[in-house]
Amino acid sequence: MANRTTWDRIRPYVMIAPAMAGILTFVIYPMGYLIYLSFYKYNLMNRAKSKYVEFDNYKQIFTRGDFYKALGNTLVYTVGVVALTMILALLTALWLKRNTRLNAIIQGGIFIPHIVSIVSVSLVWLWMMEPSHGMLNALLRSLGIPPSHWLQSSRTALVSVIIVAVWQAIGYYALIISAALRNVSPSIYEAAALDNASRAKVFFRITLPLISPQLFFILVIMTIGSFKVFDIVQIMTGGGPNDATTTLVYYIYSYRTTNIGYAAASGVTLMAIIGLLTFVYFRLLSRKVHYQ
Amino acid sequence: MKRMTNMKSSLGLILITAMMVLILAACGNSANDNSGNNAAASSTPPASESASAPASSEPASTEKTTIQFWHSLSGKNAEYMDALLKRFNDSHPNIEVVGTFQGTYDETVTKLQQSIASNTGPDVTMLERAYVEMFADADALEDMNPMLTASGMSQDDFIPGLMGHSVFNDKLLALPLNRSTPILHVNKTLLDAKGIAIPTNWDEMKKAANALVVKSGNEVTQYGLTMPYDTWYPIAMITQDGGKFFSDDKKTIDFFDNGIGEDVFGYLKDLQKSGALFYPPTQDSGTVANQLFTSGKVAMMFQSTGSIGGLASEVDFDYVTAFLPQNKQYANPTGGGNVAMLASSKNKEAAWEFIRWLETDPQGSLAFILQSGYLPFTKAMSESKEIQDLWAKEPNRKVAFDQLQYAVDTNKSVVWPEVMNEFNSAIQAIMYDSKDIKSTLATFKKEAERILGQ
Repeated sequence: MANRTTWDRIRPYVMIAPAMAGILTFVIYPMGYLIYLSFYKYNLMNRAKSKYVEFDNYKQIFTRGDFYKALGNTLVYTVGVVALTMILALLTALWLKRNTRLNAIIQGGIFIPHIVSIVSVSLVWLWMMEPSHGMLNALLRSLGIPPSHWLQSSRTALVSVIIVAVWQAIGYYALIISAALRNVSPSIYEAAALDNASRAKVFFRITLPLISPQLFFILVIMTIGSFKVFDIVQIMTGGGPNDATTTLVYYIYSYRTTNIGYAAASGVTLMAIIGLLTFVYFRLLSRKVHYQ
Repeated sequence: MKRMTNMKSSLGLILITAMMVLILAACGNSANDNSGNNAAASSTPPASESASAPASSEPASTEKTTIQFWHSLSGKNAEYMDALLKRFNDSHPNIEVVGTFQGTYDETVTKLQQSIASNTGPDVTMLERAYVEMFADADALEDMNPMLTASGMSQDDFIPGLMGHSVFNDKLLALPLNRSTPILHVNKTLLDAKGIAIPTNWDEMKKAANALVVKSGNEVTQYGLTMPYDTWYPIAMITQDGGKFFSDDKKTIDFFDNGIGEDVFGYLKDLQKSGALFYPPTQDSGTVANQLFTSGKVAMMFQSTGSIGGLASEVDFDYVTAFLPQNKQYANPTGGGNVAMLASSKNKEAAWEFIRWLETDPQGSLAFILQSGYLPFTKAMSESKEIQDLWAKEPNRKVAFDQLQYAVDTNKSVVWPEVMNEFNSAIQAIMYDSKDIKSTLATFKKEAERILGQ
């Protein structure tokens, strides 16, 4: 009998052990190691030559202009991508709300960018944005609008990258939102129609609150995802020109061979920022989310 | 009922455990593949098959020593290297060299760092020469001096201009392999049409480049000069102007206080403003520059000697090469890959035999150099009949070799890769954003000193 109770007590731990083993090996341990590395001037190839430098890496991060530039770029990119994608995806979803055959085709069409590899997407846009013989400038010229330097000027490079990211993301999020829209019970709309509610009122008082869980989910997921953007930057600009598109993850990447300790410290900082942001979101916004 | 649920849950547990083990095993495998672990590489047929040319027979005797060799050659050059490895393996029954392409120079360096950290590094590797010092500092490379002497060779056998990144702390840590230098590529048809001679100094270059500009309306349709976005070309010009990249005590940069940096970038900006210089975007800049040149939209180009073969096969105009123009002196940096032996190699004797054969045997690099267009790196090789015949046929390649007498590398430091990142930022700020040259270089100097002082 005593055996039984012991087994009962440890059974839950045994049950979750396999999953925990995975989490410990692939999440907790690497995170701990990252934090450990961040306190060293680490020599990857010869551990004996590594130096413990306390908080030097962190001190450097917070006193260096290029880190703040990368942080600023990341913030602009995140705000730009999240805001534009959410607004455009919402508008698209509202436009495609009626379940017609044409709408299904359009929805399929705008979803396609999502299934294409971001590498191909970036390369195609890279060619289209080429200033002297790219398609976009040819289009602008034919419309009599002065052409842009797109990726090759530090003034327009970040905006160009945002455009590509938004273009790729809209279809996927429009799909999520339109699924949410179709889940709103028609009886609520009927009741509103009986009360002669204006269309704006219906949208802001009924539609928006009822799809707010999905919008909140998109907000959190996209913010985290945009904060970690790397692939588009790597292919389209390499962080340039003049660091105009260096995001935090690209910043970390650029130190991978030369200063692994500093890269680790930047990684820890990024982790802290994303953690904080997510926490703030949940505290401030979760109360406004309306679960049916 | 109770029994049933118990059985169910324990069954589930077993399944989950089995899955976890599978996942772990799968991850373990792929990690091995990535690090090119000896055992993993020889047990996975595709890797060794693609590396040691297709027709090679399976190793017959079991006493064969296997040497792992990492390189950064792709496309045609990888085929030439595979053929070279096959020649070696066919002539050495006791040694099997397995060559593996590890991506670009930078990617190879990243993989080497990781593999050395986890003790799964190759025996021999190709290493971009600017990174040799970083590996030297970590004691990761083997001193080849004793082996060189034992084989009856000496460092004097090699072309001095290509040995700048080989000896550190009196240790011979790397030997030249696929090396190149920047050179001036000229569309002589365009120059002849305007009666312009090939420029030999900065003043002539400025006049020629401006004279070759063709505009339609406000847009430039033909440029005088272009060069890829790279630290190589500004560094070449700094040395042509009598400067050095790092100061002699390696505590700061040399070219700021004496005004040489402002000179160099001022010269480039002047050319850019008048439309004479096309400075390509950072991404794919080499390809963009090459395309402009082959399509006749730019008359002259600073570019690697490694592109001579490719350009010659594509152009339909009179294409010649010349020394980079001088200002106070002729000077040019070098680039490309060296070959090094890792200190962690367990088969140093066999590894040295491969390197020795690679460097000196007529069946070794000579054929590879002839095919690929990289520079001959030993005196014997440059004097060989094959190279002499090639130069008689293609004088453009001889110019590249002759320019080596002026080769000088002034950007040697263990932290060069990190300083290079900062220098790239400065180049971008000046060339793309037209930021003030003096203050940009002052900022760069400060950053460089911070890195050098660590």
